[in-house]
Order: sequence, then structure tokens, then C-alpha cells
Amino acid sequence: MSANPGLAYQDTPPFSAPLRFFLTAPLFGVVAGLVLLFAPGVLESRWTPPALALVHLFAAGFMLQVMLGALLQVLPVVAGAAMPAPARVAGASHLVLAGGTLALAWGLGRIAPEAILAGAGLLAAGLLIFLAAAVRALLDAPATAGASRTPRDLRYALAGLAVTAALGVLLALVLSRGLALPVPLPMLVDLHAGWGWLGWGGLLLAATSWVVVPMFQITPAYPARLTRHWAPTVLVALLAWSAATLGGHALPATATGLALLALAALFAIATVRLQSRSRRSTPDASFRAFRLAMFAALGGLVALLGTMLTDIERLPVVAGVLVMHGAFGGAISAMLYKIVPFLTWLHLTQAGIKAPNMKKLLPDAPMRRQLQAHAATLAVLLAAAVLPVLAPLAGLLLMVEFGWLFGNLLRAVRAGRRARG
Amino acid sequence: MSTIAELMTHDHRECDHLFASAETHAAKGEWEAAAQAMDAFSRALQAHFDAEEQQLFPRFEAVTGMTGGPTQVMRGEHADMRETLAAMQDALVRRDAADFAGEADTLMVMLQQHNMKEENILYPMCDARLADERTELAAGLARRLGARAEA
Repeated sequence: MSANPGLAYQDTPPFSAPLRFFLTAPLFGVVAGLVLLFAPGVLESRWTPPALALVHLFAAGFMLQVMLGALLQVLPVVAGAAMPAPARVAGASHLVLAGGTLALAWGLGRIAPEAILAGAGLLAAGLLIFLAAAVRALLDAPATAGASRTPRDLRYALAGLAVTAALGVLLALVLSRGLALPVPLPMLVDLHAGWGWLGWGGLLLAATSWVVVPMFQITPAYPARLTRHWAPTVLVALLAWSAATLGGHALPATATGLALLALAALFAIATVRLQSRSRRSTPDASFRAFRLAMFAALGGLVALLGTMLTDIERLPVVAGVLVMHGAFGGAISAMLYKIVPFLTWLHLTQAGIKAPNMKKLLPDAPMRRQLQAHAATLAVLLAAAVLPVLAPLAGLLLMVEFGWLFGNLLRAVRAGRRARG
Repeated sequence: MSTIAELMTHDHRECDHLFASAETHAAKGEWEAAAQAMDAFSRALQAHFDAEEQQLFPRFEAVTGMTGGPTQVMRGEHADMRETLAAMQDALVRRDAADFAGEADTLMVMLQQHNMKEENILYPMCDARLADERTELAAGLARRLGARAEA
């Protein structure tokens, strides 16, 4: 264990370690846009091959890449857990995960079993590299914990990621090798999605929000009862829902499914309420985007409720768009806009260079316009979920949104390079 | 206030509120009020840094023998933040709203990631390692923070 776990500058991973994740992530969004643009009928159901490709480009490409990059940076700061050799862990897992995502998306979109298996295998290998380093860092972290629930909930989220990945590998084996399972395929897909959305994405977003929302937006703290019980309750409910679903018990499965929706809604509502009590009177673009993401999450939960109670044909696609693009996409973009300029500034300052302030590295105007493009894309994606003829337009907008995000992040990094002279 | 962590975390939030007030006034172009709020924020923040550097950290260093450890890192970050604070004050004097907002945003993120480390790692370490003198030390810190902020 280091003499000053997580606190020292030398425990901060080199800038390149998280940055490689942050800069490649938007490119997967651009590729997802290409799929929408060129694959006909992609949004007609959640089961079309291009829709499966699209979902994985977004989830394993954009969301996972940013989340892992952010974890590299956040684990030392909030949990005192510094990864061994962060640059090498980042380099190896990043490359393997990126290759795995492309192979998997190709395999799912073109119905190519070998590519599905290769993609899932690479994704699992990349995650193993990353998770092994993260678990090692958490085991070495000091036991003296503060009042914050964040370190505990980050561990839960990593467990949720492991379950999601294991279910994904199982699905890949079913699709590519004809592995026979005692449960129907759609059921296993639902479990995979449920664990991915709530067990990994939701837990990670909440664990981060417990500290980020009150501290950066200067709001009151989340209610202690919520932060103490929310994540463990979600995990227990996910386990109960999985058991009931696998056991074929329809009523308990519906009841636990409803409980999961209610838990997710509780988090989103608590966040929106806190944000409305922010003392920062000038909400910046990132704050607004995070807020929009919470409303999209609530909309997505209502749509999911609809899918449980009715058979309305387009509702699953609407729910997917709201949860993935609206909620996770928006919240992640908002956080990237705080993380990348700050890390650029931090690494300049640590190198003893007089760094331009964050708004000089990345001004508000281009961020605001890109986030407006995000909102417009969300609207057209929702329209395209109902009127599939709009899918190419949505694809075009998706490419603009993520190309622009990439350009803005690159702008901050380049401004930092210029300051180095 | 029973623990050092609770006391110092509470003071972090007090500083945040003063910061928000300065930022709000500056954004509205209320420069007189912004200057007053900025003055209160600056005094509170300096008092907090001073209390740590002169009272809390020396005790931690004496008991643990870690002089080149976490406290040195925190002192380094205090120095960085004092510079950004000065840049904010300079922008305020020039009434340059864009520059002020940029420096404020930078200080905000710097301050919060620093606070996260203190609240999650260093303060709990202080409470654990300074258990014998905790009550007395916390009372001394509280007196100092209260007195300096009002001075």
C-alpha cells in the first residue's frame, strides 16, 4: 500500500489512461449513427439485428468506455484505491474492449456467429483485465472509510458489471454455438439488459451522483436513508427479480420488476429535487443536460412500465431510446464536459505550467450547442421509434451529436497541448 | 460536532455556500455585492486552509510520523487553490465576468475533488489516528474556524 493512498499526485493515473477511453467513446456513437442511417428498418423492433448492433455500440462502446475511464480517475479519489500500473491496464483493456465491441456489433448486425463469439470473448477479456486491477486496488485501499456510501456502491456496480458480462457471454454462446439453455432466449436477454441498466449503469450513476451532485451543484446532501439503503435494495431486488424470472414465477417476477422501476424512479426524482435546490444560480450547459437526463430516465421508466402492462408494439424501442440515449447518454455527456477540461487543467498544473482556466480550455457556447443537438437527436430518435421512416434522419443527427462531442473534447485537449507550448 | 470529519465537512459546505453567493452576484453583474461575498468566501477558505495547515496537519504528522505523506499532498493542493482564488479576485477587480466565471469554475472543481479526498480518506484517518485528542482538537478547530470567519 502506498504511504498516502489515493491522495498523492503520483497515484493519479497519467492523463492518457482515462483520456483514451473518453476520446474513443464518442466515435462509437458516430458508428451507431451510421447503422441507423444505412440499415433499413432498424428501429422496427428491439430484436432486429441492426437494433442489437446499435444497442451494443452504444452500451459497450460509448457508455462502458466512458464509465471505465471515469472509474480509473475516481477510484483513487473517493475510495483511496489506486490501480497498479494504470497506464498499462488502461491501454490493454481499452484496445481489447474497443475491438470486442466492434466485432460484437458486426456479428449481431450481420448475423455472423463467429464475430459474435469473438466480440463477446474480447469484451469479457478486456473487462477481466480491468476488473482484476480494480479489485486489486480496492483490496489494497485503506479500511478507514468516511461517511460516504460511494465506495461501497462502486463495488456493487462492478459486481453488476460482472453479472452483465457473464450473461452476455452466455448469450453469445447460445447464438454462436447453439448452447442449449433451460430458459427462453428473450428471458435471458431481459436479464442481461436489466443487470446492465440498473446493476451496472444505474448503480454507477447513483454512486457517482451521491458525491457529484451535492458537491458540484452545491445542493443539500441526498437523504442519508436513501444513500444507505438504495444500492443494497436494488441489488437484492435484482437478485429476486432474476430468480423469479428464471423460475418462471410470473407474479413475483412482475412484482419485483415493478419494484426495480420504482427504485430507479426514486433515484431520478431525488436527484431532480436536489438539483432544484442548487445554490449555483447560473445553471451551465452540463447541469441542464444532467437534469434533462433525469427527466428522460423518468420517461423511460414510464415506457418500461407500459411494456410490462401492455403489448403496445413500439414501446420497447421508445423505452430503450429514453433510457440509453436520453438518460445515460445525456448524463455521461454532462459529466464528460466537467471531467475532460478539468483533467486537462489538472495535468498542466501538476506539470508546473500556468494553465488557462476551464472555460478557456472549453468555452460554454460549443458545449451548449452540442447538448442542444443531443436534445434534438433524442426527439427525432423518439419520433423514429414510432415512424421508422425517420430512422436515417435520426442516424444523421446521432452522427452530428457524437462527432461534435468528440470535437469539443478534442478542443479542450488541444488547448491544453498549446499551453504546454 | 463529535468528529473531525463532521466538523471539517460541515465547514466545506459553508465555504461552498459563500462561493455560490459570490458566483451568483458576479453572474448578475452585481459587482459590489460580489466583492463582499468574495471577501467572505476568501476569508472562510483561507481560515479553513490555515486551520488545517497550522493545527490539524501538524498533529496528524506528529502522531503518524508521516510528514511527506497525505498532508503534504493537501498542502500542495491548497497552494494551487490559493493561486486560482487570487486569479478570481483579480478578475473581480477588473470586473471581467467571463474570466471570473472561468476561474470560479476551475476553483470549484479543484476544491471539490480536494474535498472528496479529505472527506473520504484524510479526515477519517485523522479521526482514527488522533482518537485520544479528537474532542479537544475538534473544539480547537471549531473555535478557530468560527473566529477567523467572523474577523
